[in-house]
Amino acid sequence: MTTASTPLVRIDGLYKRFPLDRGLLEQLELDGLRLRRRQKAVNAINGVSMEIQAGEALCVVGESGCGKSTVARVVMGLLSPSAGQIEFAGQRIDGLPRKQLAPFRKRMQMIFQNPYSSLNPRMTIRQTLEEPVRFHFPDLTTAEVVERVAEVMSSVGIDPGWGVRFPHEFSGGQRQRISIARALTVDPEFIVADEPISALDVSIQAQVLNLLMDAREQRGLTYMFITHDLSVVEHFGSRVAVMYLGTLCELAPTVSLFSTPRHPYTRALLSAIPRLGGAQQDFIRLKGEVPTPIDLPPGCVFHNRCPHADARCKSEIPRLIDQGDGVQVACHAIEEGRIE
Amino acid sequence: MALLEVRNLEVRFPQRSGELVALRDVSFSVDRGMRMGIVGESGAGKSVAAFSILNLVSRPGYIAHGQILFDGEDIVQMSPAQLQRIRGNRITMIFQDPMMTLNPVLTIGTQMIECLQAHGKVNDREARRIAVEKLRQVKIPSPEARIDQYPHELSGGMRQRVVIAIALLTDPDLIIADEPTTALDVTIQAEIMALLLELCKQEGVALILITHDLGVVSQVTEDTIVMYAGRIIEEAPTRELIDHPRHPYTEGLINALPERARQGQRLNQIAGSMPSLHVIPDGCAFHPRCEHTHERCRHEIPGFTGTTHRRVACHWRADQEGQEA
Repeated sequence: MTTASTPLVRIDGLYKRFPLDRGLLEQLELDGLRLRRRQKAVNAINGVSMEIQAGEALCVVGESGCGKSTVARVVMGLLSPSAGQIEFAGQRIDGLPRKQLAPFRKRMQMIFQNPYSSLNPRMTIRQTLEEPVRFHFPDLTTAEVVERVAEVMSSVGIDPGWGVRFPHEFSGGQRQRISIARALTVDPEFIVADEPISALDVSIQAQVLNLLMDAREQRGLTYMFITHDLSVVEHFGSRVAVMYLGTLCELAPTVSLFSTPRHPYTRALLSAIPRLGGAQQDFIRLKGEVPTPIDLPPGCVFHNRCPHADARCKSEIPRLIDQGDGVQVACHAIEEGRIE
Repeated sequence: MALLEVRNLEVRFPQRSGELVALRDVSFSVDRGMRMGIVGESGAGKSVAAFSILNLVSRPGYIAHGQILFDGEDIVQMSPAQLQRIRGNRITMIFQDPMMTLNPVLTIGTQMIECLQAHGKVNDREARRIAVEKLRQVKIPSPEARIDQYPHELSGGMRQRVVIAIALLTDPDLIIADEPTTALDVTIQAEIMALLLELCKQEGVALILITHDLGVVSQVTEDTIVMYAGRIIEEAPTRELIDHPRHPYTEGLINALPERARQGQRLNQIAGSMPSLHVIPDGCAFHPRCEHTHERCRHEIPGFTGTTHRRVACHWRADQEGQEA
């Protein structure tokens, strides 16, 4: 993207490793006659960089285990990165102490996947919704807090009179509305939504998606939308980031990604969406399976399943290369012009 | 004669606050080799319908009323021994989560051989040969080696392939698949569905596919039933159902899919949510959410109009078609 303004969120060279060994003894192994120390880890994110501009809805897609949720959590500061940095409105926010992070927490909020586990079952809806307001706006009077919460509740289609109820008295769709309301009460600029509709039924998914789109329009929100459902992405996102095994394969405006997917993995992924079109379409069958993130393959992480892989793909990690029109692809075959 | 004929099935779950009726007046039939889809949202009764075919309704639930004729014999009336000859043998089942279905402490081979020997006199060697052959049929690479592995050594997609292989072991007449790909990634889902479709065609096995995903149904089944709040509300050849849905709920469900809306536009949502089975509205259960509701919908449960495999239960539609005729 070539914009002069600072992006709202900038992720630069992000790595996240989750160590597997608990003690020193587990790390020791015999290499020939020498004892060596080797740490095993799950490499959840391996060098991801992207920028999110104010007002856009960036969708991050990929299959389970590709690191999309980890990216969301690192961006929100729920996990700290192993390397790389996160900037919010031009300021670096990773590694900040709690106190200094607090003003940013108000500006960025998260919506989780499962509305059954993300709401405290022992708090009434009003308590759940008022708590963040009181915390982030200690100067507000009780009446102002109540008014603010009521306003948000009606905007997400929950009757403010239901505030005295507990989460178990609501259906899944209503609970997800409440989680959205909780994110909106502090009037954030940026919302990370981690699979917010996956746990919901089709007719309810449409309601919640509409709600998220309305909120974006009315409040000028910026979204990072994590999902595995590509048909939702096509509808919702302005740009799409496709992830595979902790790396970014392709980053492109939605329309362009769906009309001309470039990266071989994106092509396979798009061809596998079940469409309402009758007869099984010709989807691209990938050989093999996703390798384990504990022992990452050298070179391009996709090379063992890619129909276009050659010697270079097996040894050299491809960089994200600008293809014009805001499209970035990390693939040697595309770079060399071996595939269209 | 249809392979499976379900007539006026009613399933109830006794509860402290009275009985919950999970299925009401459900009738449908599946012909030999036919692929049938049952779609609906959670709580619509689609899984209960499938489980009751095998008399697997979990207690205290029970079949209060109706017949399930499999090859002319009523499954509801069968003794456990009689049922044993059919369940897992002529009708097999594929469940949603392969990790829950497979026994984690037994190798795949042990589980497959056990299944074969429970349903017929087969010696170990022969059973193993059949098991390997079925694993090959579901396209598991090097089945001779894989057969001695434990479920945790396989990926999710591979495990579901094993489950399909087990479902095929006894050369069944009917496979019931309950959300077989919901727990899987989209690329794996496409492979598993293609495999299931190919095997059903090749072996002439009938399939009942239960899912909430209309996209999956549209690619696999010939005929589709839509359920809402414990009742069948529409049945039609799948293509026809998607192109020309007749029930307002089916129409709403299809139009609510993101691919039916214009990019960046609001989705066409159905207002409200499915009623809980405790408080099903009078008359047509869909009437509080329906835009065509009139007085009759509030009091009278709509009956079916149309033919066996192209029917709809809707007053509004019936009136409309009456006017056209």
